[in-house]
Amino acid sequence: MALPPSLRTSVTPPELELIASEQLVEIIPLVAMERTSFISGAYGPLRPPTKCKLPIWMATNLKLKKKCHIVPPEWLSVEFLQERLSQETSKEEFSQLPFRFTEVAKVLLDIASDDIQNPDKIRYLLKDIREARQAKSRQGLQMIDHNELSLANLCSMEINEIRPFFVRAMGVLTQVNRDTATDRI
Amino acid sequence: MPPRNALFDDDDPMEGPSFIRRAVNAVDDDDLRPPGNHNLGPGFGGDEEETQLQQLIRHWMNERHAPDILPMQEDVLGRLLDHIRRQSQTVQLLRGDPNSSEDEHFRIVLAQTEIERVKFIVRSYLRTRLFKIEKYARYIASNQEMQERLSQTELDHARAFAKLTESHYNISVLQSLPPHQQLLEDAAAFTPPMISEPDKSRAVFVHAREECPPVRLPGGAILQMKKDQIVLTPYSVVEQLLAMGSIELV
Repeated sequence: MALPPSLRTSVTPPELELIASEQLVEIIPLVAMERTSFISGAYGPLRPPTKCKLPIWMATNLKLKKKCHIVPPEWLSVEFLQERLSQETSKEEFSQLPFRFTEVAKVLLDIASDDIQNPDKIRYLLKDIREARQAKSRQGLQMIDHNELSLANLCSMEINEIRPFFVRAMGVLTQVNRDTATDRI
Repeated sequence: MPPRNALFDDDDPMEGPSFIRRAVNAVDDDDLRPPGNHNLGPGFGGDEEETQLQQLIRHWMNERHAPDILPMQEDVLGRLLDHIRRQSQTVQLLRGDPNSSEDEHFRIVLAQTEIERVKFIVRSYLRTRLFKIEKYARYIASNQEMQERLSQTELDHARAFAKLTESHYNISVLQSLPPHQQLLEDAAAFTPPMISEPDKSRAVFVHAREECPPVRLPGGAILQMKKDQIVLTPYSVVEQLLAMGSIELV
């Protein structure tokens, strides 16, 4: 019953998606529902066509049953991402994006691409942003030592991606440092 | 006949003993999500109070990333398990009602989906601990400080597991070795110890939840994290900060 070996070293993207799906998203309901209390909070009432905020997993559930439209968050738009991409390619540091933007964008693009304007363009932009940021995190590896490495504005999915390699690298440096310290004595 | 709006009813009297004794000062409306807690903007979701589920998710992730075993969050877990139980009872009641409308049915499905999601997190949290407990069972059995971080059931399991593996090693290998090599606790040079201990020098990704007091790095320098800063650093550096709740592992 202990944790399966495949999950022991790191969390998996589906698990990160599960966590991100607790965030709230705005929807336009197509069905009415009284205010209902759930474990994570009380949501509703749903009164079409008044906008309402629900956790993403609930919105997904409703959307798949065609019972709501999802209002994509402000940052999931061509203008916003275009601007972030130009920052990403012109500046050295990571641009500011929501911590779980990858997960949220994936879920919303998967299930509600008809509620998002220009979903294909957004997919391209996300991919470009991802590549630009990946190159930066690889560069960050040059600054790693056995003490600390500060990574401003890095996002959850990116951390998860670089985790095995970075943790191992720092482990080796710690080892080397320990060895030289003992040699000196 | 169950009450029509049983799903709204939060103050259901509880029947039977709770799984873990309900925390004495548990608030009744603890499932109300504080207003404004839907910040999708940069950062980690704002400064607002966490809901219990968010607390558990945080502890779950900490446990997943920390090389050491963290203190068992019995309060948070107990309250959530109670909540799951109450919610499932309500769902059961409503399902048994043949007169429930389409609308009602639809809410039941949502409530059930959520119960399953929360159960997954609870299970994953416990299984992560179980993995570490079994891995470090012998170390736990001999270390008072480790024992204090475990719940009673976990501790019993750790002891039994340590005893089992030890007798297994004895029967299968150790008893046929020369007497001075029969001990598990020998410290032979250039070989790793046979009793595994958590490797606290392993690096972890840290997110500062608030301004943190300064901590000393292995190189002697000082690290002072600002709110929302993300840092990769050895676990031993931030162990204290994690216990205080100033940081979380991501």
